[in-house]
Amino acid sequence: MGFLTPWFLAGALAVGLPVWLHLLKKHKTTPLPFSSLMFFERRTQSSIKHRRLRYLLLFALRTALIVLIVLAFAHPYIRRQPSAPARSNEITVLALDNSLSMRAGQRLEQAKQAAKSMVAGLHPGERAQVLAFGSRVQAMSEVTDDHAPLNAAIDAVEPSDARTSYAELARSVRSIAQSIHLPLRVHLYSDMQATGLPSNFNDLRLNAAVRLEPHPVGGNASSQAPGNFALENVVAPRRVYDGKKTRVLATVAGFGTQKTTRNVSLLLNGRVLETRPAEVPENGRATVEFFSLEVPYGRNKGEVRLDAPDALDADNRFFFSVERADPRRALFVHEAGPARDLLYFKAALEASGQAAFEIDPATVAQTANLSPAKYAFVVLSDVGALPPAFENQLRDYVRGGGSVLVALGHMSVGRAKVPVSGDPIEGTRYAGREGELFQTAAWLDPSHPSILKGAHWDDVKFYQAIRTAPASARVVARLADQTPLVTDQQMGEGHILVFASTFDNVANDFPLHPSFVPFVQQTARYLGRQDTGPASVLVGSFEELRDSNEKGAAVDVVDPKGARALSLDEATKAQNIQFTMAGFYDVRRPNGRNELVAVNADRHESDLAPIPPETLALWQNTASGVANGGEAASGEQKPLSLWWYVMVLVLALAVAESWLGNRHLSEDKEAAV
Amino acid sequence: MLQRFLDPATLASISGLDLVAKTVVDGFVAGLHRSPDFGFSQEFAEYRAYSQGDDLRHVDWNVFARTDKCFLKRYRGETNTQLLILLDTSASMGYGSHSVHKLDYARFVAASLCYMANVQRDAAGLIVFDEDVNNYVAPSTRQGQLFRLLHAIEKAEPGTRTDFAKPFVHFQNFLHRRGIVVVLSDFYEQPETIIKVVEPLRYRGNEVILFHVLDPQEIAPKFREPVLLVDMENARESLEVSPEYAHNEYRRRIDAHIEGLSSQARGAGLEYFLMNTGRPLDEGLREYLAVRKGRF
Repeated sequence: MGFLTPWFLAGALAVGLPVWLHLLKKHKTTPLPFSSLMFFERRTQSSIKHRRLRYLLLFALRTALIVLIVLAFAHPYIRRQPSAPARSNEITVLALDNSLSMRAGQRLEQAKQAAKSMVAGLHPGERAQVLAFGSRVQAMSEVTDDHAPLNAAIDAVEPSDARTSYAELARSVRSIAQSIHLPLRVHLYSDMQATGLPSNFNDLRLNAAVRLEPHPVGGNASSQAPGNFALENVVAPRRVYDGKKTRVLATVAGFGTQKTTRNVSLLLNGRVLETRPAEVPENGRATVEFFSLEVPYGRNKGEVRLDAPDALDADNRFFFSVERADPRRALFVHEAGPARDLLYFKAALEASGQAAFEIDPATVAQTANLSPAKYAFVVLSDVGALPPAFENQLRDYVRGGGSVLVALGHMSVGRAKVPVSGDPIEGTRYAGREGELFQTAAWLDPSHPSILKGAHWDDVKFYQAIRTAPASARVVARLADQTPLVTDQQMGEGHILVFASTFDNVANDFPLHPSFVPFVQQTARYLGRQDTGPASVLVGSFEELRDSNEKGAAVDVVDPKGARALSLDEATKAQNIQFTMAGFYDVRRPNGRNELVAVNADRHESDLAPIPPETLALWQNTASGVANGGEAASGEQKPLSLWWYVMVLVLALAVAESWLGNRHLSEDKEAAV
Repeated sequence: MLQRFLDPATLASISGLDLVAKTVVDGFVAGLHRSPDFGFSQEFAEYRAYSQGDDLRHVDWNVFARTDKCFLKRYRGETNTQLLILLDTSASMGYGSHSVHKLDYARFVAASLCYMANVQRDAAGLIVFDEDVNNYVAPSTRQGQLFRLLHAIEKAEPGTRTDFAKPFVHFQNFLHRRGIVVVLSDFYEQPETIIKVVEPLRYRGNEVILFHVLDPQEIAPKFREPVLLVDMENARESLEVSPEYAHNEYRRRIDAHIEGLSSQARGAGLEYFLMNTGRPLDEGLREYLAVRKGRF
């Protein structure tokens, strides 16, 4: 027996109250002259004694009442044995780990055999269910006492490339226990990989009705894990725009391995381009650089491979996709004359080496015969009046999904309206170039794609800014005097990004600062709708298949095995797809935008170190009343709160005390009549 | 309506016993529509003018001779009844749970009886006793007898303990004529003993009335908590009494005592009357008159 709030026991000192009332505060006997004691006798003393006895009974009741109230506040509990009938209809759950790490050796086969022997040992009428879990839990069978479907379900468990998630298993087990309202006995067949534990241990907790019995496979949980090399990461470009050789960086990691040298090969479309040795230190990492990636036009399957076999072969390959395409064209419109803005903008755009866009410069006068439709985006750099036909074409272009970047300068002020969007220009903010008379960018919206990286505009000095009154535009950056510096306005399907200053290093010194290059490149990618995703994704990640205006159009997805990943119904309705296996997924979208997605298994699976036994025991104990080991479980105990029982007793005592106290009072009253 | 003036507490506020007695008796008698009558005796009362039809034998011829007018001479009526009051002044009579203690009440009764006897032309006497005879006023109808009696009554104070045997043997020496004997006491003695002592008073043809004077608290004690009772007649004797006992057992015993005394008194031909000091005085007087009626 114990107390949840033992400090309340200090309240037992209140017992002194009835002690004082009954024992210390004695009744004084008043001497009273009376005419004659002829009719009184000595034996009358016994009556007083009898009365005192009753007072003592009242005293005992009051003392017990206070002690019990104190006890109730101290919240007593006892540990009791769980009742046997509660376990009689227990359901056995066989949870098989089919994550990537179970591919190591014969782990999955061992787990299946162990699970089958458990099925064979089930008593007649004892029901069981088979679950397979990696990053998600899959019910392989119904709850049944028939051994045949259970064994078939075990056989049906296939190895996957998913990552182990014990938290997901615990969540599913909790959900099952709550839905069927029966005790569960979970047999866990897994390699007990430590990397499968969640960051928050609370996610592993189990219900009181769940007993967890882990069955480690692939060696004892306390034994040393086999050494395993893995290709942890490969850095390769998603797209290349020229025929130059591209750099590929691969990281080789060793988990529980000795210092050794491994050969790493770079393959493109199945052909080995280059093989280099990597000296991997003990339990360490090594990087290998390849400079031989020469990408042909189109979508290409890249792969980095680790040659020698080890405990887990599946992580010795790393896939990436690389696409060769021509750079897209962008129109840069400026006023006739020296075009310093063009110089700065173009230099910044081409600074990365892989220029996805080529700038086509044009003066305002030249735009009369141009059609913006063939450009990825259009830049209007401090232009005055545009030819009306071109401006109308620009508006149609934006409504149809094109994008325009407008830089406002002194030429724009004369027109009093922002080109294309037509927002009014309220005026110009001027500052001198001397002293401290300049403006700085006081606030940036880091969530906007143009500002996402390199949002350090603190030391950029703005001497002139055009104040506009954007009606419904999103303000991306503001100057210190709250003048909107960058605004993003949606028009139809396209965007109009307005920069309230120029790119010519006159109205500001922005082009001279490092933050100008990422701003220009990010803005170009944003306006040109260039996909900037990585060259590969992890197993379990999702890919969007269609836009909102592509409903009903079929999307074709071919998985790494060459099979169609979507049914016909899913192909027309599915909004996204989850990649479940490592390899290349070929995604063919209705708008003709085809994509080759390289998918790799989560490299957390490469670390085969098991969960420490004490952590495992702690997990088992999260189901209150579950003791370590199967046989020891019979001695498990569950705390039972006695609070209600004590309160019922308090109520009974209070009634008894009131009754007895009333009797005394009524006697006194009677005597007083 | 006059009854309310007979409340013991009200009477206690009246200073003189004569006034108390007068208040009680006059009010009481007026209530009974009785008045003193004129009779034949040696004691002159008053003159009255002759009217036709009056008996010529009562004409005072000496007056007629001097004044030539006819006046009738009237005398106070006179009886041969004698009232002797025995007033117990033992210490226990000093008990009282309210403003009037038992001895006060007994004195009011005694004074009222004396006054009434005086009005009725009865010879009244008084014996004050506790364990001995403390005062004696011989019965008489002489003028000033009432004041002697009242004086003696006023002087009576609670004394020592009660002993009926000794004074009562002595009383028989004072009783020469037959009459009415009134005993005012709380009778804290066994009924047999009391009857045995009082009964001889009857042998000479006396009517004996026992006025049992008790305080309401003695009849039905009300204690809220255990009390230590000290005997008023013997201060060394004390007893702790619980409210339950006083409420149950004591009541039973005092009731038995009252009942025993009452029945044995009547069995011995004595009149018995319980006087609760919490009740008006006229009840005692009515009892007296009921006995007195046969004495004219």
